[in-house]
Amino acid sequence: MMKALFRQILEIEDVQGVSLISFAGEVIYQEDSGVFTRDAEKSGVWGRLFKAMQGTREADLVFENMRLYIRRTELGYLIIVMGLFAPAAMVRMNCDMLLPALKRKGKFKGLRGFFRKKA
Amino acid sequence: MIRKVLVVDDDMEMLNMVQEGLKRYDETFSVLTAVDGLDAVDQLKENTVSIVVTDLKMPRMDGFSLLAYIMEHYPEVPVIIMTGYSTPEMERSAWEKGAVGYISKPFMINALAERIVTTLRREADGGTLHSISSGMFLQLVEMEEKTCTIRLVSKGSGELGILFFRQGELLDARADGLRGEEAAYEIFSWEQVSLSIQNSCQQKEKRIHRDLQAILLEAMRRKDERRSRKEALPAKEKGEQKGAVKDKTLSPERVKQILSTHFAEGAGVEDIYEDEAWEGLIQEFRRVATFIKAGEFKAGYVDQEAASDFIILPGERPTVISVNPKCPRDRLMETLSEA
Repeated sequence: MMKALFRQILEIEDVQGVSLISFAGEVIYQEDSGVFTRDAEKSGVWGRLFKAMQGTREADLVFENMRLYIRRTELGYLIIVMGLFAPAAMVRMNCDMLLPALKRKGKFKGLRGFFRKKA
Repeated sequence: MIRKVLVVDDDMEMLNMVQEGLKRYDETFSVLTAVDGLDAVDQLKENTVSIVVTDLKMPRMDGFSLLAYIMEHYPEVPVIIMTGYSTPEMERSAWEKGAVGYISKPFMINALAERIVTTLRREADGGTLHSISSGMFLQLVEMEEKTCTIRLVSKGSGELGILFFRQGELLDARADGLRGEEAAYEIFSWEQVSLSIQNSCQQKEKRIHRDLQAILLEAMRRKDERRSRKEALPAKEKGEQKGAVKDKTLSPERVKQILSTHFAEGAGVEDIYEDEAWEGLIQEFRRVATFIKAGEFKAGYVDQEAASDFIILPGERPTVISVNPKCPRDRLMETLSEA
C-alpha cells in the first residue's frame, strides 16, 4: 500500500530511495537501493536529526555524493535520497501531492482504523 | 582558540544532557557528539579533537576499544572515561590503557567540565601566540630542539592543524583529514595562524621524512603554483582542480561575490551573515551523511515556515543566507554547493 503511494517519487529519474521515519527515529516505511542502513536506525541518528530540526517543515541538503530532501508529514519525516542530478523541484512537487494521502493513512492507523465504518 | 571536545555515549538522553550542560563553556570549548566508538572514529577523522569523553558500554565499538584506537592513532588526544557500571578493576584497566580521567555516573556536569578544562590547559602549557606567520616560529622550534605538540588554527579558513616535534624534529602533522607530509604542506600554506604549545609529544611514529626547511619550501612552491593556477582558470573550474586544496569556507563576502557574478538581481537574498547557532544542526546533517555515505555536507536549504527561508553553508562559523521563500532555490543551491 505504502509502496503504491511512493511509486511516483521512486520513478523520478535519479531518485535512489524513500524512507518515512517517525519523529522518534523509527523507520515506518523504507524503499531503497541499500542507502538506508539498519545501523543508522539503531544508532538513533534520525531521532537526533529530527530533534535538532525543531519542527522544520522541509530541508534540502546537498552532499558531495548525493542530495537529501527531508519533508515533515503527520507521521514523521519523509526522506528522499537523490543523486546530484535529480530534478529536485519535481521531487518536491510530488511530495506535495503525496502528503494528503499520507495524512489519510495516518488517520486510520491502529484502533481508529479498526473501528472505521466500512463503506 | 575554541577547542573541540568529543562526547561519546549510546544513551541519547545522557548525551543530550551532557551537551546541554556543557553549553555554558562554549567560549572555551565546543562539544561534538558520537553515539558509539565507530561514530567517534569518524568524528576524529573529520575534526581536530582536543579531548574525548567516552562511555564504556556501547554497541559496535565499546569505550575500551575506542581508547585503544585513540592511543594508537591519536596519542595526543586525552581520553576521559565516564561509566555507570564502575568497578575497581574497570577503573584500573582504564588508567592502564591510557585514560587521563575516570568519572562515575551519575556525576555533576560541573565536575566533568572542570576535568575537561584542566586537561585542556595542558594543551597550552607552553604558551599561546596569536596572528603570526608559522614559518619563522617553527624554524625556531627546530633550532631550539624542542619537544612539543603545536596546535594551530588558520586565521583565514579557521581550519585546525597539529604538528608534533621531538627534539626539534618534525615527526608528524595532521590537518583537514590529512596526515604526515601532506598535512604539513597544508598547515605551512596558511598565511596567518594562532597557535598553542604543549610541552610534550605523545606521538611516537615518524611519518615525515624530510627536514623542516624542505617542507616549508615545498609548501611555498605548492601555494604559489595553486595561486597561479587559480588565476589562470575561469571561476567555475577553480574548485574542480584535481589535487588542489579547496578553501571549504564560503564567507559572507565570498557568497556576495558569487551571487553577484551569477545572479543579475538580488535572487531573493535578504541577508548574509555568520551564525554559530546553526552548527548543531549541521553536525547532525554530517552525522547522517556518515551513515549513508553521502560525503561532505555542502549546503542546506531550510524552511521553518517563517517569513524567510535559510540557506546554510558549513564552516568554522556557518554562513547563513536568509532568502525570500520565492527565491530561485534550486539555482541558488546549485551555484553555492559548486562554489
